[in-house]
Order: sequence, then structure tokens, then C-alpha cells
Amino acid sequence: MELLSNLGMAFVIIFQPDNLFFCFLGCLIGTLIGVLPGLGPVATISLLLPATFHITPVSAIIMLAGIYYGAMYGGSITSILVNIPGEAASVVTCLDGYQMARQGRAGPALGMSAFASFVAGTVATILIMLVAPPLARVALKFGPPEYFALMLLGLTILSYLASGSVVKALMMACVGVFIGTIGTDTISGVERFTYRSYTLMDGLGLVPVIMGLFGISEILLNIDQASKQEIYGTRIANLLPTLRDWKISLPAIFRGTLIGFFLGILPGGGVVIASFAAYAVEKKVSKHPEKFGSGVIEGVAAPEAANNSASQGAFIPLLTLGIPSNVVMAVLLGALLIHNIKPGPLLLKDHPTLFWGIVGSMYIGNFMLLVLNVPLIGMWVKLLKVPYPVLFPLIILFCLIGVYSINNNTFELIIMILFGMLGYLMKKFAYEGAPMILAFVLSPMLENALRQSLIMSHGSFSIFFTRPIPCALFVISILLLISPLIPGVKKRPKIEDVT
Amino acid sequence: MKKYDQMSSGIWLLFAVYICVESVRLPLGSFRDPGPGFLPLLVGILLGVLSLISFLQAHSDESLESSESWYPRKRWKNLVWVLVAQLAYAGILDTLGFLVSTFLLLVFLFRSNLAPRSWPWAIGGSLIASVSCYVVFEILLRTQLPKGFLGF
Repeated sequence: MELLSNLGMAFVIIFQPDNLFFCFLGCLIGTLIGVLPGLGPVATISLLLPATFHITPVSAIIMLAGIYYGAMYGGSITSILVNIPGEAASVVTCLDGYQMARQGRAGPALGMSAFASFVAGTVATILIMLVAPPLARVALKFGPPEYFALMLLGLTILSYLASGSVVKALMMACVGVFIGTIGTDTISGVERFTYRSYTLMDGLGLVPVIMGLFGISEILLNIDQASKQEIYGTRIANLLPTLRDWKISLPAIFRGTLIGFFLGILPGGGVVIASFAAYAVEKKVSKHPEKFGSGVIEGVAAPEAANNSASQGAFIPLLTLGIPSNVVMAVLLGALLIHNIKPGPLLLKDHPTLFWGIVGSMYIGNFMLLVLNVPLIGMWVKLLKVPYPVLFPLIILFCLIGVYSINNNTFELIIMILFGMLGYLMKKFAYEGAPMILAFVLSPMLENALRQSLIMSHGSFSIFFTRPIPCALFVISILLLISPLIPGVKKRPKIEDVT
Repeated sequence: MKKYDQMSSGIWLLFAVYICVESVRLPLGSFRDPGPGFLPLLVGILLGVLSLISFLQAHSDESLESSESWYPRKRWKNLVWVLVAQLAYAGILDTLGFLVSTFLLLVFLFRSNLAPRSWPWAIGGSLIASVSCYVVFEILLRTQLPKGFLGF
């Protein structure tokens, strides 16, 4: 009964005209940047953060969330038609989606991808309604040691699942924690690593760092590679998959949804891992695994469902524990804090309209994406034809304006450019940016939790091992880290292994 | 890649040393009451240890040998141009104001040798783009863009 009344509240909030408008705007912008190369959801959400200062927090978060799952869908359009994933989460969709397009079945591939995302989004929304409230009640019992162990586990999982070396990923997490400590220490008021810069006294801004690492560096890489895109030229007709397609895809969609949802909740998990895991599972359960990669429709349906439900599942740790499980959630955490809302176990009680507004917006947003994408595919394809040399100066300009408009400070532009160069070099030398950003955002919380835990225990680290929850989380972290050294344990899953 | 991995690990090791040296200069506190230098020092030590492991891994791995250069030998000038343009923009934005600086930046980037557009195209395109951004950000979104000495 409680569930129904909550659902009712969710719909009342989302059907308010301005919320509906911002949800639509978010989905539209999300699809747009998902289609266009060079600006991902992380950079876009950061870019639009200042623009949300003038609207209510509920509308702001609804729009920013719409960008996130809209980008997931937009990314799959480029994967299928151009074989270039607009987003990392759509890499797997390329494998079978592009092959389907080459066989003249681009329509059903695009259609199935939209339907799979819609079904997954709907199921994930229902799962959020079921899982979030009990989790928030459990989280109320969490103290500093529990939070510290949970954040550490998130960083460990993210590093463990990194596509490159685990050691390098952990190094980036350390750098992230360090750059998060720059600024005035909140407990003692001592300035750290600021060198008397007024800008640095408040700490490094989230937006310049993210825009640099994920926006500017991406542009530099694209200029460097000067990629040529070839759009699949056939006319896209008949977006509706056949009955046979549906029969094959439905079980795949449900498996993908469940896998995606639980990997999305997992701290450090996220959409990329979810889509790869769903593809791997489909390949394993299939009667004809050898056909994967040659254009089978379940190879499109499962990862598309998984990345959509993972992007929604990821809201659970943010909204109930106040801990972002991936980089996009980290930016959304920043957005909530700017709007004076502290996500955590009390969010559901203190700001029910925000929580249920987001849940409602996901439901309606998925419907909007379906309506937006199926008939508008032609327009998105046209957009893909804009040459990159015309596009990149505009993307650079948006990044510059976005960063400047937060504090009207040109020093932050320089910080962004420096992090852009760092991000470019990191990609070249195979270091991942995601652990750094997540650690950067978690750093102040991590430090407070560590210091409070040690004060509570009078300086003894045993507090992390005598309480059951932190002890279990620590054991999982340690097992993950030493697992490659244990004989007989299978190699850690790597993205390349799936393909 | 081996050479580059060793090189990058070495740089991170130096960075770790920097973090440790600077953290020690801050009040470290005690385990009972950790001070502001406590976490940075901990992270610095951890980064140092990890950089050493990464260095040794690269040293012992024979399969990583590759002759590929990490920077684009042909296109590095483009990268430098784009970076210089952005830095220059940050330098002139407050003085020249949003409209003039943005116009200059866009003309410069559209004319860069990545795929240069014709002069009329570059000037026309830059004018339209900078004025549209001004309208959207300054007038519609009420973002405060710098005016500069010309007043716009």
C-alpha cells in the first residue's frame, strides 16, 4: 500500500509542467550528446550544473538525471550506425549492432535497443521503489567506520574492474584522494597545498577538474586521432523488430535488466561493466555462442537493457547512503550539495519530493526517450554528419563557458586546461580517469570518516575489524586486491575478455 | 609501452615524494586525533609504494615492448595550437570581454590546420556562434559573462 501511495506521489511530482519540461529537456540533451562524439554525460552534467542554479532542486536533478540515461540511449545510435560508441557503455552494442546494420537490419537494431532500454528502465524503476526505502533504514545505523569501509570498497571495486592495470587504477585513486585534500581543512581550518591562492583555498572545483579530465582531454584525443566516421548509408526503415526478434530478445532483456540493476547498485560498478557482463552472460547461455559478433539481436538487447537499468540502479547508493557509486553519480552528488541537499539515509524522510520526483522522472523519461528516439532517428543520423572540425571548437567553447560561469574565475579555466592535458597524458599512458574522479569526490567524506573513526576508537585501527559491517567490507576489499595472487582463482574479468 | 610505463611510474613516484614532503610540513596530529596532514601523508606513502610496484612490473614484463610513440608525430602541432588557444582565451577573457574573446577564439580554431574553413565561413560562423552563446547564456540563462573594457 505504501508502495502505491509513493508511486502516486512520484507521478504527481513528475506531471507538474516544469518538471515534465526539464525531464524532456534532459532526455533531449542526453540523446544529443550521446550521439555527438567528444562530450559525454559527465562533462555535460557538469557543464549544465550552473544553469540549474535558478531552478528548483527537484527540476534540476530530474534534468541532470535525464541527461544521464538519455546519453546511454544516444550512445547506442552511433554504435549501431557508425561502429563508434558515443559512450563507453555502448561499446558492446557495436559488436552485434553494427553487424546488423551492415546486413540491412539497422532499423530493428535501433528499435530493439530503444525497447530494451524502455523495458529495463521500467523494471529498474520498480526495483528502486522496492529496494531503496529498506536500504535507507539500514543505512541509518551506519557510523563513520561503516562509511569509511564502504567508500574504500567502492574505490577498490572500481580499480579492480579497471580495463587496464589494477595498480595503475589504485594509483589514480590515491591521486584523487590527494587532490581532494587541497584547500582549507574543514576540521582544523589549516590550509593545505594552496600556496596562498584564493581559488585553491576553497579546494579544487569539481567542474573544472571533470571538464578537464573528461571534456578537454577527449577533444585532444579526437584531434590527435582525426577519426573518420562512415555512417551506414542505407535508409533506415522499419524500426519495429519482428515477432521472432521479440521472442529471442525478451529473456535477454530481463536477464540484462537484473544484471545491470545489481551491478549498478554495487559501489564502483556502473554501466560499462553492466553492459559487458550482460553480453557475456547472453553468450554463455546461448545455444549458438559462435554467432555472437555476427549480428544477433540478443547481443544488442541484453547490453542495452543492462546499461539502462544500471544507470538507474546507481541512484540507490547515492540517494540512500549519500555515496556515489560512479563518476556521474559523483557529479550529481555535487549538484545536490550545491542545492543544499545532503543525500543520505535521511533524504527519503527529509526530501521525499526529491526522491520520488527522481523515481517518477525515470519512468516518464524512459517513455519520452522511446517517443523521442524511434521517430527521430533520422534527425540524429543527420547530426552525426556534422564534421568534427566544425564541432570541436564549439565543444571547447561550451567547456570554457561552463567552467567560467560557476565562479566567474579565469584561474579555474587554467585548472580545467591543466587537467585536460593531464587527462590526455593519462589516456596515452593507460591510466584511468574514473578512479581518480570518484576518489576526488569521496575524499572529504573519506577523510572525515577516517578521522572520526580514529577519534572514536582512541587511535586504534581495530575499530574497522571489530564491528561486523566494516570488517566484512574490508575483507571483501582485501580479497579482491589479493585475488590475482591466489593460485586457482580465475583471472579478474576484463572487458577485452568478453569480446 | 614498457619504457613509457617505467617513465610514468617514475613521475608518479616523484609526485608521491612531493606529497609526503609537503604533508609532513602540516600538523600531522596523532592516531588518537589525526591532523590535517595525516591523510595526505598516508596517501603519499601509498602512491609511492604503488608507483614502485608499477615500475617493477613494467621492468619485469618483456611482452610490453613497443616502438609506438605516445605522441602524434604528425599532428602534435594541432594539439599545441588548441591548448595555446584555450590558454590565450583564459588570458584575454576578462580584458576583452566575452563577445570579442569568443569571436577571436572561434575564428582561430575554425582556421586551424585540422580542416581549415574559408575566411568568410570562419568569420561568419564565429560571429553567429558567439552571439548565440551570448544570447543563451547571458540573456536567457542569466549567467554573468565578463564585459571587458568595451562593455560587452
